[in-house]
Amino acid sequence: MNRERLAGQQAELLRALLAGGEIPAGFDRDRVEAEVIVLRNKRKRVTAMIRPDLRAALGARYGELFDVYATGHPRAEGTRAREDADAFGDWLVGQGELKPAKKRRWFLAARARERSSRS
Amino acid sequence: MVAGVAAEAAVADASGSPLGKLGVGIGWREEIDLSIPRLPGVDWVEVVAENLHTEHLPESLLDLRERGLPVLPHGVSLSLGSAEPVDTRRVEHLAEVANALGAPMASDHVCFVRAGGLDSGHLLPLPRTREALDVLVDNVKLTQSILDVPFALENIAALLEWPDAELTEAQFLTELTERTGCLLIVDVANLYANARNLKVDPEAFLDEIPLERLAYVHVAGGVERDGLYHDTHAHPVLPAVLDLLGELRSRVDPPGVLLERDDDYPTDSELASELAAIRAVVTR
Repeated sequence: MNRERLAGQQAELLRALLAGGEIPAGFDRDRVEAEVIVLRNKRKRVTAMIRPDLRAALGARYGELFDVYATGHPRAEGTRAREDADAFGDWLVGQGELKPAKKRRWFLAARARERSSRS
Repeated sequence: MVAGVAAEAAVADASGSPLGKLGVGIGWREEIDLSIPRLPGVDWVEVVAENLHTEHLPESLLDLRERGLPVLPHGVSLSLGSAEPVDTRRVEHLAEVANALGAPMASDHVCFVRAGGLDSGHLLPLPRTREALDVLVDNVKLTQSILDVPFALENIAALLEWPDAELTEAQFLTELTERTGCLLIVDVANLYANARNLKVDPEAFLDEIPLERLAYVHVAGGVERDGLYHDTHAHPVLPAVLDLLGELRSRVDPPGVLLERDDDYPTDSELASELAAIRAVVTR
């Protein structure tokens, strides 16, 4: 048995399915491409469920931006679904698509400053 | 391999199953947790193990347990077909959930989920080669050594196939059960998907797999899109899938049948009528 060889083949297929890698020899190109879309849409749905705020903020552009994001940022092993969804949110901020989320503590501190400056 | 031996002894028993008679069940999901107790004819539920923490089991699930309904945990992340080492923490979690629920068995899928540092979040097919079967058998034996209950594995729906298959899916599953003593969950919707998308002969599949090792059956809905059948669990169950359930029923009286719905939840009455349709097929 050659675990290493099989591990390599499985990793190669996942790179093709999740990260825009070359389709490994012997696979049906159309089916791999169909699976790419299925996997990306599933991740997109899960992300929208966990971070409805992102979909609400982006509206119709949610899907398009997720597609741009997903291939360059496949979900890493050991990443929880929430971390994966939050990473998309951070990317959107980095791209200038969304404003950084206001931190509540910062907000309260600012309000306190405002109050003290008025008094 | 205590679990394997126990399963084998029980299967040989006249009851035909280590589980006794489960009846008709439904996949427990948070979104329908209040509907389930109201649905007529729910004899048991299955729950995705990864969604549970043993210290904080949902009240609505514990209520079902208290009413005497079997609650069986089903794993989706063990990735037992992965050539990389098994993440035994995931298996330990499944074992803890099974124990916390007092479940008679636990299960996952014949698939891989992760490889090369990436997580697909999905159940992906294995190459049907001796090499891949050897890896899976080793991983299943390790899993069985951690679990305190019998272990079952389910056939998945695949959109693509690996090249150079050496075994049919039925041969692959038969050898898997022979070498590990595991039980099988047959998903007839996945079988339908593979018949449509991969030209698997579903009746030959049912003829060839060891039905005496059947733990229970899954039924789910899906949709045809661009010439492919997608096992969405978000659409109604197709009549053709119920026909396959009938094909299975003509060969064996399954210990249990379970309806899975994971998204776009319909009304209670629609779920009830799907459960009734399933019951009508398996009750003879």
